[in-house]
Amino acid sequence: MEQIKLTVNGKGYELQVRPWASLLEVIRDDLGLTGTKEGCGEGECGACTVIMDGKAVNSCIVLAVEADGRQITTIEGLAEGDKLHPVQEAFLEMGGMQCGFCTPGMILSTKVLLDGNKNPTDEDIRKGLEGNFCRCTGYTKIFESVKAAAQKIRR
Amino acid sequence: MKEYTVIGQRVPRIDGRQKVMGQAKYAADYSLPGMLFCKVARLPVAHAKILNVDTSKAERLPGVKAVVTAKDFNGWTWGFMANTRDEPPLAMDKVRYYMEAVAAVAAIDEDAAEEACDLIKVDYEELPSVFDPEDAIREGAPVVHDYRPNNVSVEYHWNFGDVEKSFAESYLVREDRFRTSRATKGYLEPPASLAWYDPAGYITVWAAKQSPYFHYRHLAACFGLPLSKIRVIQPFIGGGFGGTKNDSVAGDFCAVMLSKMTGKPVKFVYTQEEELTISKRRHSMIVYNKMGMSKDGLITAIQSRVIADGGGYTAVSPLTMYLTGCCTPLPYKLPNYKYDCYRAFTNNPICAAMRGHGVTHTRFACEIQMEMMAEELGIDPVEIRMQNAIDNPKPGEIYRTINDMTLKTCGIKEAIQTLVRDPLWAQKDKAPKQDGSVSYGVGMSATSYLGGARQLGHQSCAAIVRICEDGTVNLITGATDCGQGSDTVLAMIAAEELGVRYQDIDFKMVDSAYTPVDPGSYGSRVTVLAGQAVQTAAADAKKQLLDILGREWKVSPEEIEIRNAEVYHRSNPSRRIPFDKLAKIACYSGSGAVIIGKGYSGYGIEPLGFENGRGNAGTSFSFTAQTTRAGVDMETGHVTISDFVIAHDCGRPLNPIGAESQNEGGAVQGMGQAIYEDFIMDRGKTLNPTFLDYKMPRSTDVPDIKVIDIITDDPDGPFGAKEASEGSHVSAPPSVVAAIHDATGIWFKEQPVTAEKIVAALKEKGKWPGKQ
Amino acid sequence: MAQFYKRLPRFQYLLPKTIEEALSFLKEHKAAARLFAGGTDLIPQLKKREVDIPRCLVDLKGIPGLDSIAYDEEAGLKIGPLATINAIKDCPYVRDHYPSLLQAASSMASPQVRNRGTFAGNICSAVPSADSAPALLALEASVRLLGQKGAREVPMDKFFTGPRKTVLETDEMLLEIRVPRPKPGSRNVYLKLSPRHSMDLAIVGVAVVATCEDGICKDIKIALGAVAPTPIRVPAAERILEGKRITPEIIEEVSQNVAAQCSPIDDHRASLEYRRDMVYILARRALNNVLTK
Repeated sequence: MEQIKLTVNGKGYELQVRPWASLLEVIRDDLGLTGTKEGCGEGECGACTVIMDGKAVNSCIVLAVEADGRQITTIEGLAEGDKLHPVQEAFLEMGGMQCGFCTPGMILSTKVLLDGNKNPTDEDIRKGLEGNFCRCTGYTKIFESVKAAAQKIRR
Repeated sequence: MKEYTVIGQRVPRIDGRQKVMGQAKYAADYSLPGMLFCKVARLPVAHAKILNVDTSKAERLPGVKAVVTAKDFNGWTWGFMANTRDEPPLAMDKVRYYMEAVAAVAAIDEDAAEEACDLIKVDYEELPSVFDPEDAIREGAPVVHDYRPNNVSVEYHWNFGDVEKSFAESYLVREDRFRTSRATKGYLEPPASLAWYDPAGYITVWAAKQSPYFHYRHLAACFGLPLSKIRVIQPFIGGGFGGTKNDSVAGDFCAVMLSKMTGKPVKFVYTQEEELTISKRRHSMIVYNKMGMSKDGLITAIQSRVIADGGGYTAVSPLTMYLTGCCTPLPYKLPNYKYDCYRAFTNNPICAAMRGHGVTHTRFACEIQMEMMAEELGIDPVEIRMQNAIDNPKPGEIYRTINDMTLKTCGIKEAIQTLVRDPLWAQKDKAPKQDGSVSYGVGMSATSYLGGARQLGHQSCAAIVRICEDGTVNLITGATDCGQGSDTVLAMIAAEELGVRYQDIDFKMVDSAYTPVDPGSYGSRVTVLAGQAVQTAAADAKKQLLDILGREWKVSPEEIEIRNAEVYHRSNPSRRIPFDKLAKIACYSGSGAVIIGKGYSGYGIEPLGFENGRGNAGTSFSFTAQTTRAGVDMETGHVTISDFVIAHDCGRPLNPIGAESQNEGGAVQGMGQAIYEDFIMDRGKTLNPTFLDYKMPRSTDVPDIKVIDIITDDPDGPFGAKEASEGSHVSAPPSVVAAIHDATGIWFKEQPVTAEKIVAALKEKGKWPGKQ
Repeated sequence: MAQFYKRLPRFQYLLPKTIEEALSFLKEHKAAARLFAGGTDLIPQLKKREVDIPRCLVDLKGIPGLDSIAYDEEAGLKIGPLATINAIKDCPYVRDHYPSLLQAASSMASPQVRNRGTFAGNICSAVPSADSAPALLALEASVRLLGQKGAREVPMDKFFTGPRKTVLETDEMLLEIRVPRPKPGSRNVYLKLSPRHSMDLAIVGVAVVATCEDGICKDIKIALGAVAPTPIRVPAAERILEGKRITPEIIEEVSQNVAAQCSPIDDHRASLEYRRDMVYILARRALNNVLTK
């Protein structure tokens, strides 16, 4: 077992983890934060996306030990109490989801995209979400949600 | 027409807040104290006789609590019909497809469970195998199931009118061979369940099922328990699209059995690769299609001979093959029709239902063949469709197809005309046809899909509307939202009918201990049938409320109206109270009342004609016309789909955001099937069981999509609604393929139309601009 | 019996703080150790048990300074072993001087993977379709390796020895990728063909570096990915064009020659014939792009 310290959604944790445990497994099983989903387990679908030190990563292919000393944001860390983050608000209002399994990762990727670019073009949005797979919506409503979120953030 | 207060509004999804906050819990998110982990061990051979399964080493591994094999299930099997129950939870005498489940382990953690599976030893004898469906039904082929020595799992032979005579009299007759993709649902959430077998004789599972009541019956039968003791609790479902989540999988039965053996809760979660390798996928079908036309392009007859690759077991395929045949007389008038189908057992993975179930295969064939013939006759794609399309029946009238399907509304002509006026089609000849190596084309399709599907047995959906004394409402149904948005639509229906606000409705997800039994989420039946049940239940609750208030106000209940959570006297609107006050008055009337409205859907009582193909496969039918603009790189064959315009007759979109999104998602899934998606098989083994190699459209692949509603207000649907999404799933492939034809001049008859197939075809025609 | 593994296999995790410490781990464990940078290739492979299970993973991310990207007019570009694909993609020097590296980096996987995956990892994994490899080959990059026996520099065209195989010894690590400064006036491009518009492996990748001086082609370098057991250079084709006047005919001839020299496989991703045809098409496009625009 390895000892790690990490901050998740602003809260510090000290944990004993198996060296071969993924960050995703530790977030879900040890911390009980099940908002982060496992879709493919190999970095193709983005359902397990979390933000690590400001960057989107696939937590299913990051080892938990690699997160030692890092700052992690999961979907549970985005809203402030009952107040949704503008990206969450936009996805809710524009209907940027169906089954919801890709939604946490989609929202976190959108947040990172908009953190770096408040005026994304259609192409920027498509490229920014290329690592997040959605089978339900055909993406139209997701793109509309990202644009609405950008507008909210610019305001 | 009455103005709606909730129906037609762009409301947020009822579960949206939970989903955007990460609070929505799916099956894999549940856990219980002391829970064990189940892992399924599989045999990597497509067809083999099992001689011995040795689990002793696995059982001795520290952390392992139990191991289950076929013998623990005492020969129990399940299936769609009484005479097709051929699938065991774990392989008994032999495996019939690659990686079929043979044993399963429960251990204290996943590491131990996986290590234990490695220690199970199977002695087996490989058997001759068969993978091609046409080979499988030839004499002398290896036999997959002894009860079907000819490997024909399902066959139907239907004949309407006189096709032979009609072909003889037709001006033009064409025969072609079409083939549809080996596609799959591709949902993100792999199968999972948390199971608890209470030694007192109760089973409780939190299972990823889009139709939980199939599973409920399977568990009762498998474990010999009464249905009253089976509790299937439906979590949020991460996508359905038919097939696996309408059925049970090895892990489902094994987790319950292991819980029974250990006295502990047991959870299993498949991997995505496991799902993509073994789970139930769409049939790939070979369609030999023959069509006759008059000189001016009227369809005179269609004859379809379909050979479907069924894989190792029957599953739901008697329905698949029914739907493949029955909907051919839509959306065009068809006076003569013959259908012969053979579903072959092979040693491929099991094929079953998927969105656009059955219909997508034959509709693709007919749609493309019709265009090919129109081209031969010099008739324009719009004209050929308009002159064959079924007219919208006048109010009170019914259109009857040659196989006795009945339509009360049909928006196909209006949909086509709408597309003709839309700029994508109207200005297609003004848009550039060529840019560098890229050729552009625009294609059209017109299709239909059933809503409110019927099958065998219990057909009805039910709903309970429970009024709380503070004016809020619990809506209890047996319906499952696997993403399509039906919880939202049902809540909207309840709010509209009852006269309350959408946000006053609380929707209860399925818990078979408390919610009414329901067939499930398949065949676009939830809005149509559960919707009718909800509307009836809400009306029942409303009547109870108004009866009480009528007595209180000393007026006839008919004189009182409820709208927007306001209750008022029709002829004296100043006499009004808020709905919460009414609820309180009603619930406290007398010594205290219980206001519960109930209702169930009344369709689908007549039996389906499996043998003769006659009758309504659904309660109503949606109609879709679609245009697609595609760019084809004539050097690489690479296709870019830039635009979809979908004109969809869903009767009336009750929740416009949901209906649009369903159409968009359905069409993109259809686009995947048209140009990307296909399982590549090698002797029963799926070579591309990953999201990297099973190519589904991603954010950079999808077109801009416009959805246009064609409103027909079907008299049978709740508030006029019919189905949405399976229609656009069926319309997309022919529309895409027609666009590729417009760009390349070549008709493709085999899905998916990959870049490589395009280059091969261009080379064959001498049109490839590369070296020859 | 077979199964679909969800968990990673057991291994020990080592986090050296210095290069020396990393090398000593390699010396101690030899083939039982695997160097570990972004893990975007290795972790999925380990999950699927597609590679030999190492006894230990040696994570280089504890060693400071290995993620640098430096450029100077003399030495050109120096890429540290931990420089991520996104860091390369966002690097102004890369954008200004090495468009082919930018094109390769942008075409790889997703933002999430590019935030973790490294250029060094991409070439050390040595899959034939590695997008960075053709660009680096055509740019005549080299890698600096350090091991027990000291340091050595290996040109890219000597680095790959087979599918997933390189000259790296079990006790060696890659210290730096060196990419010479492109010659004044020269241009470079990487073109990738894949079924979808992103998130795909290359069916064919073609990189070309060349200078067009008064209509004469100079210093032409052509490299291919995904169409041979390793990424390859095609010197015979280069020789046809070197020093010649650029005409549509010669570009046609060279493109055909390039296609004739590759040795693609026939697999579930594409047929041999299609890959070969596409080498021809992409080579022609890349040559036109670099020489005639």
